[in-house]
Amino acid sequence: MAEEAEQPTVATVEEPFDLVRLSLDEKIYVKMRNDRELRGRLHAYDQHLNMILGDAEETVTTVEIDDETYEEIYKSTKRTIPMLFVRGDGVILISPPMRANVG
Amino acid sequence: MLFYSFFKSLVGKDVVVELKNDLSIHGTLHSVDQFLNIKLTDISVTDPDRYPHMLSVKNCFIRGSVVRYIQLPADECDTQLLQDTARKEASQNKKK
Amino acid sequence: MSYLPGTASLINEIDKRLLIVLRDGRTLIGYLRTIDQFANLVLHQTIERIHVDKQYGDIPRGIFIIRGENVILLGEVDDEKFKNSGLEEAPIDEVLEKQRSLQLQKQKEIEEKRKALRERGLEPSHLESIQEDF
Repeated sequence: MAEEAEQPTVATVEEPFDLVRLSLDEKIYVKMRNDRELRGRLHAYDQHLNMILGDAEETVTTVEIDDETYEEIYKSTKRTIPMLFVRGDGVILISPPMRANVG
Repeated sequence: MLFYSFFKSLVGKDVVVELKNDLSIHGTLHSVDQFLNIKLTDISVTDPDRYPHMLSVKNCFIRGSVVRYIQLPADECDTQLLQDTARKEASQNKKK
Repeated sequence: MSYLPGTASLINEIDKRLLIVLRDGRTLIGYLRTIDQFANLVLHQTIERIHVDKQYGDIPRGIFIIRGENVILLGEVDDEKFKNSGLEEAPIDEVLEKQRSLQLQKQKEIEEKRKALRERGLEPSHLESIQEDF
């Protein structure tokens, strides 16, 4: 794989996918449909935003209404999956990792 | 083609396919096509009480569009190769 | 290209008796007569199978042309697995009656929750909706 002349590693972002490419091997946040969120290391993606995340932590948030007090209760359920393929059509947004040297 | 090739390399391995209707199907990956439709053999569902109809099925074809996640065997995934391939495909797509 | 090993294809399933699960939750069983690249299907001598817990009942339906996007999965009914599944056939009227009361109960719960959420200014996004979020 190393014989390929890599693209210049200047971090210019011309289109949205550049930002995804720069997030490879970084921990990203993914907001999914149906109140699901993922955090994990991005190992692969394609133009549909299909992805593979390593050590993916999924958080599912549900709202319940308490029968007695009539208050809404937000419950979040977490689980970790060592290697997860995510189908792109469920993705709402991706957030790249926080960097110290932004700007 | 990245994911199509990748899933082909996982044929014969055990995966868990989680569908958008919350049904999770555990099985051995038998085959995949370019739409990421998937065939599994020797399946079991994690919640058979909710999906009794799945109790009588052993092998199945799942339409790619109804998949939410696929849980993969981590030790069968070459993450370095995945990343390199993703970078390569990204630069190919840019040249177009 | 559909014939390469490792390629998922429905060609080999043609003329087999298959169980099909649709996006609205229905289960059909019929002979798969033809397919295309979208997984549009033609089913012959189809029955609809209604499951309630471990009981099921069948309704004869005839010929179906199914638009591919509504298909969740197809599978062959495995006789041995079926025998060991603990599923038992029951008169269809009984099964339908049970299904109806279960659905009403579920519907009521969903409506109550939806109402409660609306009163709090929250829009329930996907309460048991199998449909729109596909």
